This record gives sequence, structure tokens and C-alpha cells, in this order.
Amino acid sequence: MVLLAQSETPSEASVEFPPVPSHVALAWHDLSAGLIRYWMWWTLAFQDIKLRYRGSTLGPFWLTLSMLFLSVGMGVIYSHLFHTDAQTYMPYLTMGLIIWQYINTLTGEACQTFMMSESVIQQVPIPFSIHAYRVVCRNMVVLGHNLLIVPIGLVVFHIHLGWNIIEIVPAVLLLAINGIWTCMLLGMLSSRFRDIAPIVGSIMQISFFMTPVIWPADALGIYHWLADINPLFAAIDVLRAPVLGVAPARWSWPVLIVFTILGSGAAFALFARFRSRIAYWV
Amino acid sequence: MAFIRLRDVSIEFPIYSGSTRSLKKMLLSTSTRGNIGRDERRRVSVQALTDIDLDLDHGDRLALIGVNGAGKSTLLKVLAGIYEPTRGRFHAEGQVSALLTASVGLNTDATGRENIVTRGMYLDIHPRVMRRHIDEIADFTDLGYYIDMPVRTYSAGMIIRLCFAVATAFPPEILLMDEWLLAGDAAFLAKARKRMEDFVAGSSILVLASHALPLLEEWCNRAILLDQGRIVASGTVAEVAARHQAGTG
Repeated sequence: MVLLAQSETPSEASVEFPPVPSHVALAWHDLSAGLIRYWMWWTLAFQDIKLRYRGSTLGPFWLTLSMLFLSVGMGVIYSHLFHTDAQTYMPYLTMGLIIWQYINTLTGEACQTFMMSESVIQQVPIPFSIHAYRVVCRNMVVLGHNLLIVPIGLVVFHIHLGWNIIEIVPAVLLLAINGIWTCMLLGMLSSRFRDIAPIVGSIMQISFFMTPVIWPADALGIYHWLADINPLFAAIDVLRAPVLGVAPARWSWPVLIVFTILGSGAAFALFARFRSRIAYWV
Repeated sequence: MAFIRLRDVSIEFPIYSGSTRSLKKMLLSTSTRGNIGRDERRRVSVQALTDIDLDLDHGDRLALIGVNGAGKSTLLKVLAGIYEPTRGRFHAEGQVSALLTASVGLNTDATGRENIVTRGMYLDIHPRVMRRHIDEIADFTDLGYYIDMPVRTYSAGMIIRLCFAVATAFPPEILLMDEWLLAGDAAFLAKARKRMEDFVAGSSILVLASHALPLLEEWCNRAILLDQGRIVASGTVAEVAARHQAGTG
């Protein structure tokens, strides 16, 4: 009896309804369908930048300029405070600030990934990942503008780049991947729980002081392991060191790779489970 | 051929009040396990749609009738693929264009032309393709020189024209419209209807939610009456409209 009932119902239903793909397949499809619509997130990201600087003469180059002022101003004072020579400290500080600004802004905006696009999510069924790619792309463009001061620094401080400058390619790629999962994860969490954004904000504020951004990691002495296991330091170091013509710290690459895998895995699991709920949350 | 199938589709909205939106309260409530905890965790939800069965095939022009809060807009969002049903099955084939609210992706500082490209993008149309058709779309809107002005200078009616022109520029197989669209003036409605007839003739589905019964009778050939998230009547527009008026009047 039971067997008969089971065999009858699905055959009737399957006439019109194809089998529902698994949560994992749907989540994967969302990510890839979003990625191939590069023109959509690319255009949206550039539109965001254009809107932000509408009516200003320098446009996004204000970022470049203000970063230049900040690093010169801080560089002069802090090299005195840390008793290091400005020659080595200034490039270190500038790169640290530029990469930190990328990480910090991205993390903050990640919380708004889906909430900012609420009206779009409620109107048109485009892949959710588009919104994450848009946030990362926008911040990468800003990072690119800030990095324009690097050539000036290379000349002024006589930095000789080594072969390991090619390391910046995988470094930027990993920064982007970490940006994407951060946007998916924090975007979902903070559209469900509205107090995630302020929590993330204060964590990032504390992290700035605990991470060797403006102070050298070697200053930690026997506590150097604190920097070694810090994924934020790893993320900064893999991009900063090649530009300064030195090798990254020994643990930076392994730590960042492990962090990327763990983060992506967690974000993907959560996305697969709750993808269909995002439209209800925002 | 475009078609839409719904079987026992239900939509339940969680209502997140201040305390269920808070992570701290949620964590505390899981750890206390007392009565307070259970009260805190009990989520309030609204049953927006209940057991909807609906079959739509090419040539169907369906009118959604019902009082405010009957579930018309929610049903449109299910058909558009925005809300995945919490229960039941939904399957649709055909390219969908949905005009649910006026504001989607409109950038009020950008010009009409720029917005045509952006809105087209949300309909999955590449900006390059959109730019090729921008002049014919601008023509249809009858906005004249306003098309090169920022959208914040537009009247509500002008925004409607712009959105309708984009949504129907590439004849969709399934067109979903909420009532705001019918706020356009008579000249625009006549033009819109002409375009709609053209593409419905080409084997498509139209679903229209409105309170304007005469207009629905003119545009649609089927109707369902929704009440508190259930389909309570279906048939021709005249029949369902009569039932609706008997119920409300």
C-alpha cells in the first residue's frame, strides 16, 4: 500500500514539474550566472563611483590625493615616534594604509550588499551574487586609484622591485575572492540581523590597532605569532611586500589561503541554505 | 511556448520585529531556555498566499482582482520569481518582464536615456544592445526633449511611460504589471494597449493587478479573485468582477 502510494504521486507530478535542483546547485548557479554577467556588475560599480563624485573636478582622484596627504603627514610624524627612518617607513605605511582602506571599506559595505539593493531584489530576479561582485568591483576600482601613487613612491624612495612583483597578481585575486565571500556572508547576516553592521564596524576598528598596518610586525618581538596568525596582516602583507621589493612573511601566504578556503566554504554553505530567504529578509 | 504552473503555492512572511532582528536577543534567548526565551523566539508570520493553484498558457491575459492586502502583489512577485514559495511548486517557462513598482533601479540624477540602459540591464539586456534601440524606445515614450533631462524632473506619469517603454521594448513572453502602471493618461493607455495587443498576439502571457474593473475587462480575458491570500473565484473578467462587487458592495 505504502509503496503503491509512493510510486503513483511523483510520476503524476513530474509531468509538468521538473525535479527541483538541490540548494547547492542553485547556489552555484547563482554565483556563476552572476559572474558571466560581468557587464552588469561592472557597469553598476562604475555608476556608483561616477555618482559618488558627480560634480567634483578631480573625481575619484581625490582619493589618490588624500591618500598622498595622509601618508606624507603620518609618515613624517610616525617615523619619529617609531624611531625608524622615513626612507623605509613611508612606503611601508602608505601601502599598509591603502590596503587597509580597501579591506575596511569593503567590510563595511559588505554589510549593506543586499540591503542597498533592496528595491532591485524586490523587483527583478537577477542573481544575488551580482550585488556582491558589484561591491567588490567598486572597491577594487578605488584601490586601483589609490595604487596610482605607488610609481611615485618607487622613484622617490629608490625601491628596486624583485621578480616577486608578480606575486601581486595572486594577491589581488585572493583579496577579490575574500571580498566576494565577505559580501555574501555579511550581506546575508546583516539583512537578517540588523545589529551585525555595528558589530563588524567595531571589530574592524579594534583590528586596525591589533594588525601591523602602520607599525612594523617585527616590533612584536616574541609575540610575532600574533601577526603570523592574523589573516588581515596576511592579506596586507602579500600585496605590500612585493611592492616594497621584499619577500612576504613566511606564514602570510599559507594563512591567507587557509582563510580564503574556510571563509568561502562557510559563506557558500550559508548561501546555499538561505539563498531563497534573502528576498524575504531585505 | 510560455507557460506558468502553480500547485498549492503558499507564501509565509516572517515578520521581524525589533527583537527578532537583533542578534544579541536571539543568542540570549537560545541560552536562557526559559519562558521568556520561548516567547522571544516565537516568530510572528503572515500567511500572504495559501494553496494557490494556477495554470497560465500562451494567450492568457489574466486579471488579478481583490481588495488591498488580498495578495495580488505577492502573487505577482511569485510569478516574477522573486519570492520562492515557502510551500508548493512553481514552474514557469518564458522570459519575464515585471513592472511591479515604478522605482526599480531608477537613478533620478541620471537622464532618461541613461536610465533606459540601466533598466534594460536589470532585464538582462546588455547595455550595448540597449544603446542600439535607445532611439525607438525614446520615441515610444513621447517624452520629447525630457528624455535628455534628469529623471528627477519627471512627473509620475512620465516615469510610467519610460518604464513601460523599456519593459516592452523587447516583447517579453510573460509581462507582469501592478496597478500603478494604469495611472498613465488616456493617450498613453491607448498606446500601451496597442503595443500589448501586438505582443499578446505573439503567444504571450499578461498578468495585470488592478482595481480599475472597466480597464481589466477591456485588457484581459480571464480573471481570478483573491481574498486573504486564497483564490475564491475564477472565470471571465465580468463574472469575477461581479462577484467582487457583490462581496465588497
